[in-house]
Amino acid sequence: MSNIDPDKMVDQLTRPIRKTSAFYYVVVLALLMAVCWGLFAWTCQLTRGLQVTGLNNSVAWGVYITNFVFFIGISHAGTLISAILRVSGAEWRRPITRAAEAITVFALVLGASQILFDLGRPDRALNVILYGPLRSPLLWDVVCISVYLLSSIFYLLLPLIPDVAILRDQRLVLGWRKELYRILSFGWDGNPEQKRRLEKTIGIMAVLIIPIAVSVHTVVSWIFGMTIRPMWHSTILGPYFVVGAIFSGIAAIIIAMAVLRKVYHFEGYLKPIHFNYLGLLLLTMTALWFYFTLAEYLTIGYGALPEEWHVFEAKVAGEFALMFWIMVGSMTVAFFLLLFCRSKWPIGGTVAASLFIVVGMWIERYTIVVPTLVKLTGRGYPPGMYYPSWVEWSITGGSIAGFILLYVLFVKLFPIISIWEVEESEEAVVEKLANMKRYFPCVSSAPTES
Amino acid sequence: MDENRRNFLKKAGSAALGLGCGFPLLMAGCSTNGHSSEENSSSPNQWAMVIDVQKCKEPAIRAACIEACRKEHNLPTNPPPNQPAREVKWIWSDKFETAFPDQAHKYLAENPADLQVLLLCNHCTEPACVKVCPTAATWKRKSDGIVMMDMHRCIGCRYCVVACPYGSRSFNWRDPFPDRNDIDKQARKEYPTRSRGVVEKCTFCAERIRLWQERVDKDPKLLESEPAPIPACVEAANRVAGGEGALRFGNLGDSQSEVSRVLRDQNTICRQLALGTGPNVYYLV
Repeated sequence: MSNIDPDKMVDQLTRPIRKTSAFYYVVVLALLMAVCWGLFAWTCQLTRGLQVTGLNNSVAWGVYITNFVFFIGISHAGTLISAILRVSGAEWRRPITRAAEAITVFALVLGASQILFDLGRPDRALNVILYGPLRSPLLWDVVCISVYLLSSIFYLLLPLIPDVAILRDQRLVLGWRKELYRILSFGWDGNPEQKRRLEKTIGIMAVLIIPIAVSVHTVVSWIFGMTIRPMWHSTILGPYFVVGAIFSGIAAIIIAMAVLRKVYHFEGYLKPIHFNYLGLLLLTMTALWFYFTLAEYLTIGYGALPEEWHVFEAKVAGEFALMFWIMVGSMTVAFFLLLFCRSKWPIGGTVAASLFIVVGMWIERYTIVVPTLVKLTGRGYPPGMYYPSWVEWSITGGSIAGFILLYVLFVKLFPIISIWEVEESEEAVVEKLANMKRYFPCVSSAPTES
Repeated sequence: MDENRRNFLKKAGSAALGLGCGFPLLMAGCSTNGHSSEENSSSPNQWAMVIDVQKCKEPAIRAACIEACRKEHNLPTNPPPNQPAREVKWIWSDKFETAFPDQAHKYLAENPADLQVLLLCNHCTEPACVKVCPTAATWKRKSDGIVMMDMHRCIGCRYCVVACPYGSRSFNWRDPFPDRNDIDKQARKEYPTRSRGVVEKCTFCAERIRLWQERVDKDPKLLESEPAPIPACVEAANRVAGGEGALRFGNLGDSQSEVSRVLRDQNTICRQLALGTGPNVYYLV
């Protein structure tokens, strides 16, 4: 990083905020149109009711619940990864953290709104807070997701303070944005005491956010796990969902990073080595995902309890076999891409793998939610099939577009690569070296060590 | 000032941690203790039903029960075309093999695919739907064990629909009365109507039980003379020739009630006992 001088760095990293290309407006317009289409579909659903979906009394949950689980999974990208990397002192995280933390906040917002789309009477949603009994797993979700959303907004805004102060002090930005930067910089002037406190608060938040994030995806899985339905009522579901969440989350960051790198020419900041390291993490998660999937499916298939067998069979050889094997295929391709192409072709290899993984994980969520409901036995009527309607697909598309739109707008308002954290990397190298010397017996302790 | 902010951050941080980790654990605890919580505490009273499968082989009896229920509770009269899985039903008829998958072995005397049985909410002792409802819009009534439903509190999340192992809960996918005139012409005015987007189910005709309860509460002597309340389906079955006693209704807490007597004298089965929900609708096979 020493080849970029600090002034130039600020200039480069704030360029997306200062300069807006025509392409940017085209992208925003396209996304807005997609969001509007989704909103139109939602209006249709609000006026005509859930009869416009493909759902029925047999399969009462479908794409919206799948999206909910998927988005909450993606949200683990950010905060959890950046927190884990911070806590473990992985210095290569510095240019990545902001991009990751922003994903968390926006994915959570879109994830939570899926529940609103799914309700028959969204106007009564507040009844959950007014009357909610603690025994309902849905209430656990409301609590955990709210805490997670608040703490990840906090965790996004905290490290933004020094960067926002830089923007505030630049004369180029005017109007409401200047005011916004003034408020969000909380009187930052960069004195050592402020820095010390900021670092400490970020440190505490990083530790706190890890259990919160784990709790969130665990309780999401418990919506299913706490029922007595075949292939939902499984003790493995909590950890399986957490692994899947971190898995799809890392994939989402890699894609976001590659796009930012290309569009804003951040080649000097988001280097192949970052993709390589994230790819290594992703490879580990792919292996874990395969392990969990095997453990779950082999146990169910071998035991072959009639109720579970119906669902198992539908997934591996029945109505959902195509989806199921596309999922397994995607993950297999991703695994080998990461294994063999990562070091030679770090960016292309990891991005391709990430695309397979994000699609594969959406299908995974779908094949967890839907087949169980389609194949339920003992309900006293023939099981019904489920085909999502155009309304459900439109709202799904609109949600994905909305997520990207929020992200794109964020990039326009705030530096997506943390300026101060990258600026500090020189000091970090010195500190890290001094620290490393303490590991080894033969190296005399450096005088810089305190 | 700075010290305050620092303290605030510390406290906010620990509060976030506390909420994030403590609440799920706490609530998981509450949920496992849910069996002993006040709503579920064992009151001696539990309304229950015994269905005679042999008598109900007669299609006229089953049809009469279903029709009486429709009328009594203003159920939407015509199920949406081509959408059988969206029908609103409180009591319905289906194959033995789909209702009792764990009983339908292939050497059964009667072909389980041909045998039709009447199905309704089991008013379980440990209802799966009540556990999961996020607004307590469905609850186990302490005084008499009926699994009640408040259609005006329900948010339509359909968690109960996916949780109920018996398929006893229906969601209003469309407006139950798309034509306002239907309400005036066909509906029974004493029974409240509901909106699109909420779940409904059998309540063992709680409205009839309430009227009876009010009379009995006013004058306890009536308990001896006044006949116990019976749901609309039971009443309808009794009116059909040969349908007398096809459905029987009574209080399990009263050892002299008709259902208690039948259960003592004859062998009965329940739907999916292994799930541990404790159904209170019994079948004489």
